[in-house]
Amino acid sequence: MRAASIADVPGAQPRLAPWLFLSPFLLVFLVFTAYPLVQAMVLSLQQTFGPQHTRFVGLRNFQFLFSDPLFWTALRNTVVYSLGSLLIQLPLSLGLAMLLETPGLRGGRLYRVILFSPSLVGVSFAAMIFAVIFEKRTGLLNVALHRTIGWNLDFAWLERHVMPALIVASLWMWVGFNMTYFSAALKNVRRDLLEAAEIDGAGPWRRFLHVTIPEISPVAGFVVLLSMIGSFQLFELPYLLLNSTAGPGNRGMTIVLYLYQTGFENSDLGYASAIGWVLGLLLIVMTVFQRVLVRRSEAA
Amino acid sequence: MEAASLHPSFGVKVQRVTPAWVRHRLERLGLVATVTSPVVLAFALLSLASFTAMMVWPIPSREGKTMWLGAPPHFRMYEPMVAEWNKTHESRFRLVLLSQPALERRMLSAFTSGTPAADILEVERRPAARAFMGPLEGVGFVDLTDRLRVEGLLDELNGPSFTPWTSRGRTFGLPHDVHSVMLGYRADIVEAAGIDVSQIETWEDYFRIMKPLLQGPGSTQERYLLNLWETHGDHIELLLLQAGGGFFDPQDRPIIASEVNAHVLAKIISWCVGPDRVCGDAPNFMASGNRLKVEGYVLASFMPDWMCGIYRGEMPQLGGKLKLMPLPAWERGGRRTSVWGGSMIGISKSGVRTPEDFEKSWAFAKELYLSPSLARTLYEVGDIVTPVKSHWGDPIFDRPDAYFSGQPKGRMYLDLAPQVPARSSSPYNTMAWLRVADAATALASWARDNQKFDYVDILPEAKRVLAQAHGQVQAQIDRNVFLSDAAKSGGVP
Repeated sequence: MRAASIADVPGAQPRLAPWLFLSPFLLVFLVFTAYPLVQAMVLSLQQTFGPQHTRFVGLRNFQFLFSDPLFWTALRNTVVYSLGSLLIQLPLSLGLAMLLETPGLRGGRLYRVILFSPSLVGVSFAAMIFAVIFEKRTGLLNVALHRTIGWNLDFAWLERHVMPALIVASLWMWVGFNMTYFSAALKNVRRDLLEAAEIDGAGPWRRFLHVTIPEISPVAGFVVLLSMIGSFQLFELPYLLLNSTAGPGNRGMTIVLYLYQTGFENSDLGYASAIGWVLGLLLIVMTVFQRVLVRRSEAA
Repeated sequence: MEAASLHPSFGVKVQRVTPAWVRHRLERLGLVATVTSPVVLAFALLSLASFTAMMVWPIPSREGKTMWLGAPPHFRMYEPMVAEWNKTHESRFRLVLLSQPALERRMLSAFTSGTPAADILEVERRPAARAFMGPLEGVGFVDLTDRLRVEGLLDELNGPSFTPWTSRGRTFGLPHDVHSVMLGYRADIVEAAGIDVSQIETWEDYFRIMKPLLQGPGSTQERYLLNLWETHGDHIELLLLQAGGGFFDPQDRPIIASEVNAHVLAKIISWCVGPDRVCGDAPNFMASGNRLKVEGYVLASFMPDWMCGIYRGEMPQLGGKLKLMPLPAWERGGRRTSVWGGSMIGISKSGVRTPEDFEKSWAFAKELYLSPSLARTLYEVGDIVTPVKSHWGDPIFDRPDAYFSGQPKGRMYLDLAPQVPARSSSPYNTMAWLRVADAATALASWARDNQKFDYVDILPEAKRVLAQAHGQVQAQIDRNVFLSDAAKSGGVP
């Protein structure tokens, strides 16, 4: 029996119904996404002191941006953090997922909960914890290392080694979270393929490289994309960890932190909008590049 | 349909909305089931009820005028005074305590976008300077210059206290404080070593005379002579100001790359880096820093008057172990103090609709900031000395303070008040502060990487990093089309 549809109602206008259903989303999208986007583009071409004092400055904000050493510092730090996250966090997440998917592992669920739980902690809370851990002279890390291997108590994590500190803090927060994606992907790896490869004489490494990796690549691609976008939007962790600053010598300055400082601390909304647009374009380019890579690997 | 008819006046077809018509339209769209679903109906009723409640609920009207402030100790001090004012005056005032960031956002939003603002605002130096970013007529505070002059307040209050609230020759606030700075040192350790601090006049004297108390890395109990580090932006600023440098000149032009700044920065870094460093890092406002201070990791710290209360509250163990002394000067006969922090009270333009409005707010602001009772409370509760010169004779300032080993610290701070350096109200203060802090960090890294720990070796690099910082701030100022306009009209260059 065929299900009744709108088209069955005599005199109904089915073309209107989807729009009616879409209208709440469209309204919210237009008001909170499309309009701010357009307004941000307009702002990026202006210099403002509140809405009552605005001047059109053309592309001068963008021109200044590309000659602004702070922007390049922020971009460099953001790329370093993103690569650090990508190259350390994701392999670690995958490794942990594989360990936890080992057949016959006892307490797997408990480990999974333990590893996942940091991601349930708010970023602000994590930042407070790590601010105490990374403190020099009295911080947990320096004191523990000092007592065990005679580490220098004055080792200034949050002064001269900000990026490693940020990467370590984000590892603690997100390794378990990404691990769950990989765990789910690993569960879907076809056992028959693995067994066939084993029968053909492939060792664990070759099975991992030629069976597991291709099988989980769609999920891996998705996790890589999410991590890159998340890394490029890094803000709260350095902001809170470094006491509302970009750290000594701007060593913790990220693009979004610079945007925030420019827009809300220097009240330069036009320049902040220009930074926002450049960040948006960077993310679009990265996403397209990643999609192309994934499609190519799928096609291969 | 019957419900449709022609409007008699305009001859257009007007549709009467009847339940039957609504049902018919919904049926045509296929939405009857959706709209008549109990869940949708429940949500619709809830929305309707909350909308009606919002419309009908009476919003309590607020009587009188409002004052925003961001410092909880000030709020506690002002509360009884405001209650007293409200009892004895026709105009009533209400205090609203906000967090500092909220106060800054709301103030800037009100000044630049016309959102509601308080009638009176108490703000700190850096947020206040942001209100001076645009054209002079765009500043949201009432210009008090003429009134201050007519009433003789420019002479009655400590002169340098006005400078952070004066932009392009116009003053927009009454100063709350002086905030002269002294050095708080561990008298228990210094006196046990037989050191007489009255022999100290310059920084050079200080480090030479105190040197026997230095216990560098490898000692059982490390001890450094001064709580100062390359990352202490506020300390660096106060030392620059003390030496006659700073970020901006009286016309708000950047002077970051000045000789005096380079000299001071090179000295600071030579004190903080290398195997023979004499300074240590015990950060303020942090438990870890407090612990280091209590342990005697640093022998002395910079103490503006307001810091005395913080020490007393956070490190009671140091009671009777500390003493204050004027800052050592940069050269013989030089300035023995500096300045750190500060607040003002200003009247918002949006709160002044009639001349009477201004008079009421002005009278209240003066009562709050200039009264002898506030001067006493300010000192008793917050250890802050008043900028009103006529109150400086109050014996309360001569009272010995047990926490500071019986010293009459109020009098000591007041004696230094006339020497407090002037500060700029440039809206680029925060940016300059950040860039100079970056310069200090870069210079310290350079010194460590190149193993150059001597002042003479560091000085050329200090000039280079400060020139870089200067260039960055200047570039931002040059971008500001509003300030350029002011320059054209003879305002800020």
